Amino acid sequence: MDYILIAELAVSGLFVGLMYALVSLGIVLIYKTSGLVNLAQGAMAMTGGYVTWAIAAGLGAPMWIAIMAALVVMFGAGMMVERLALRRMIGQPVIMTIMLTLGIEIMLRGLMPGVFGAAVKRLDIGIPQAPLFLGELLINRATLIGGVISLGLIVLSLAFFNSRYGVVMRAVADDQTASWSVGIRVERAIAVAWGLGAVMATSAGILWGATQGVDWSLSLLLVKALAIAILGGLDSIPGVLLAGLIVGVAESLATGIIDPLVGGGTRDIVASVIILVTLLLKPHGLFGREHIERV
Amino acid sequence: MSLLILNNVEVAYDRVFLAVKGVSIEVPERGLVALLGANGAGKSTVLKSVSGLLKPERGEVSRGEVMFAGEDILALDPPDRVRRGIAHVLEGRRVFGHLTPQENLLAAASMHNDRAKVNRLLDQMFTTFPRLAQRAKAKAGYLSGGEQQMLAIARALMTEPKLLMLDEPSLGLAPFLVDEIFDIVKKINAESGVAVLLVEQNATAALEIAHSGYLIENGRILMNGTAEVLSANPDVAEAYLGGHQRVDYHAVKHYRRRKRWLA
Repeated sequence: MDYILIAELAVSGLFVGLMYALVSLGIVLIYKTSGLVNLAQGAMAMTGGYVTWAIAAGLGAPMWIAIMAALVVMFGAGMMVERLALRRMIGQPVIMTIMLTLGIEIMLRGLMPGVFGAAVKRLDIGIPQAPLFLGELLINRATLIGGVISLGLIVLSLAFFNSRYGVVMRAVADDQTASWSVGIRVERAIAVAWGLGAVMATSAGILWGATQGVDWSLSLLLVKALAIAILGGLDSIPGVLLAGLIVGVAESLATGIIDPLVGGGTRDIVASVIILVTLLLKPHGLFGREHIERV
Repeated sequence: MSLLILNNVEVAYDRVFLAVKGVSIEVPERGLVALLGANGAGKSTVLKSVSGLLKPERGEVSRGEVMFAGEDILALDPPDRVRRGIAHVLEGRRVFGHLTPQENLLAAASMHNDRAKVNRLLDQMFTTFPRLAQRAKAKAGYLSGGEQQMLAIARALMTEPKLLMLDEPSLGLAPFLVDEIFDIVKKINAESGVAVLLVEQNATAALEIAHSGYLIENGRILMNGTAEVLSANPDVAEAYLGGHQRVDYHAVKHYRRRKRWLA
């Protein structure tokens, strides 16, 4: 076995894992605040990619402006999803709300390519194509930069949850009625969580769009994001980080090592296997928060 | 002019079930009023009609008016009512279990933009409740029942209320803790002039600190008066104070109890 190849796969897996974790981060943000799993996160990432491309290519704006504008637009879009769709579902069974987000996912998957055209859109955010050598290891520059940016955003959201508004959002996650009773605007906190979730999705959509182009397949990130969120424990940001690295490396190694033996296609199985195994063995994930019960 | 006036309030759950049937209550400025009654009498519902927390339970005030500081507050949502000065400490404490006591208090200060003020309030709470300062780093869910009740009261005080509504603060606490909590409530009322509306089943403890009280049964006010009058009333003594003298159950004639419906 070629050790350099394995090391290369592992390292690129780490960075890809960080980029997956970024999609997952949005799911965790929303779950932490509102207790809902947002199954539209993949399509949100895709939509973010499309919006960025549309602003850059359609309106001819410089890329950095397009990215900023897309983040703002998507923050608004995330809040609108909460305001228009989810607020009506208050008091309904959770499963209906989750189905609603899945409906949004499917709708966006059809709508975006329909509006912007199905061909793959090239999203050039100015990362050079030339590969980077780290010692003997060859690393894809786009993945490296994407991974580092993702890590930055993950650390940032960790800090956010310890800020004053972050504490308020965690309080909302704990007990909505009690939050109301001390004057917290619960609906607004949840809307902000959806906005931030959409911003995370858009960042991921842009970074992934830069490596593979923007088309509907960006929404398939949902499966990886779900695997990471479930493995990490759904409400833990450190969990997302670690689980992202695990899923990224596992996928990368599976592609490099098992693919030649079975003839390919193992990449997409890894995420599903991880979901399955986690749910069977450790349903609360690696870092899922315990239910506090005093006896 | 009283701080809080409930005028003939009627509350229906699911538009069908009447939990409160025309209740009128007044809480004067700086007053300490007890609302006594058995399980299911409608005490908690009365408090929720004031704080606006009926909505998550599909309840609504179907008749009557709730005036706070001269303003009809029924149209306001719960966070706005808190900003007017109404704090509701929920039954069963309901602290944010996964947050530390300090974070619990911070979360309740979301309406204060002035950071120095928040810090001052925090210090104040930790001086009033030294037990909370000791456990400031633990998760609130792991605090003892008494500590959680103190935290719930401190959390409500972070909103700087004019009216503090307490829903069964003695629930599930040892007698010495009940005394401690009630002493604190009395102190808060006396020193900072916060009016208190206290819902209790433990009528003995409540009437010891209250200035006046209301007795509620089946969603109706049965009796009201000063604390002395209520404690002296033989019916109250028999039904809620556990009987000062031994009750001869053969002689009790329930159907002849002197009940008068006030509203």
